[in-house]
Amino acid sequence: MKETTAALNQLRPQSAIQAEQTRAFIRGLEQDAETYWDMVQVGDELSRDLHMTPELIILYADGVEDFNPWYEAWRMNSWHIPGESPFGGAIVPPLLVSHFILSVQFDHTRPFAIGSIHTYHDSEILAPIPVGATVRITTRAVDKYEKRGRRYVRHEADVVDADTGTHYFHETRDILSL
Amino acid sequence: MNQRADSEFPSVRITRDTPVGYELQPVKKRAVIQLMGSRLWGRFNPNHWDPDYADSTGLDAPIQTGEMSSAYIAEMCVNHFGADLFRNARIVCKYIASTLANEVITTHGVVSAKTPEGDGYRFKVEVWCDNEAGEKKTVGWVEVSVGG
Repeated sequence: MKETTAALNQLRPQSAIQAEQTRAFIRGLEQDAETYWDMVQVGDELSRDLHMTPELIILYADGVEDFNPWYEAWRMNSWHIPGESPFGGAIVPPLLVSHFILSVQFDHTRPFAIGSIHTYHDSEILAPIPVGATVRITTRAVDKYEKRGRRYVRHEADVVDADTGTHYFHETRDILSL
Repeated sequence: MNQRADSEFPSVRITRDTPVGYELQPVKKRAVIQLMGSRLWGRFNPNHWDPDYADSTGLDAPIQTGEMSSAYIAEMCVNHFGADLFRNARIVCKYIASTLANEVITTHGVVSAKTPEGDGYRFKVEVWCDNEAGEKKTVGWVEVSVGG
């Protein structure tokens, strides 16, 4: 182990049992995994619905330390609240749905190889998403290409309201596959 | 109605009068390994949170998901564009280098163009993130319609 890795481990201290739990978790992730490149064929279209619950929004926002009150429909001590934003109630952070496209563009029921990298996104934010909405994320594999010896998978994605059909979001994105 | 970006920080709000060259105020974040590896973010890939695993795959350290730096850029833009960022806006980001655990990331933005559109303007902002050494990690641009 490099000295720098040892130092980095100090950022995430673990006891012996925690270290073994970590290794077991990683072994589980690696079982029977396929690369994105092998899992995807151009033309593949997949779709899933996701409920924008207040708790989901808080988990996302806390991870990037974005404490804008517009996103809060859950607050400690009060719990569920309507929230407030320029659009009335609480709304979803502008790029939140982009983060969940990965869960749709590859068959989530099959383990995929860890180690691929998201490299690019072109995101159009068309309308605010109210917290509490259920969105339908639809992805289409539009290209697989190689550049400088690396393999990329390109998808287009649309996010609409599952109940009203309101078009909230469109994105083109690339993943560098193993 | 909560108008945080409009009323609490009125001096940073981009209006139809904002000139080309205006610099957005940055947001600054440490790449905290526990946040990088939280369930909703990078837990599914130990390259995002486990130093030993990252070392075994040739990385110098666990790396953030690029989407975290995109979220930082979006936060900076909400501070300046408020509600306008949630309607007919565009954010384009390219991840040109990895953000490593424990680095401090700063966002940047400069208004590069404003084009008349209806009664207002379509603003274009060049955006990027860099670390303490000034090494760029994410580059891109944002377009937002203001005052239309």
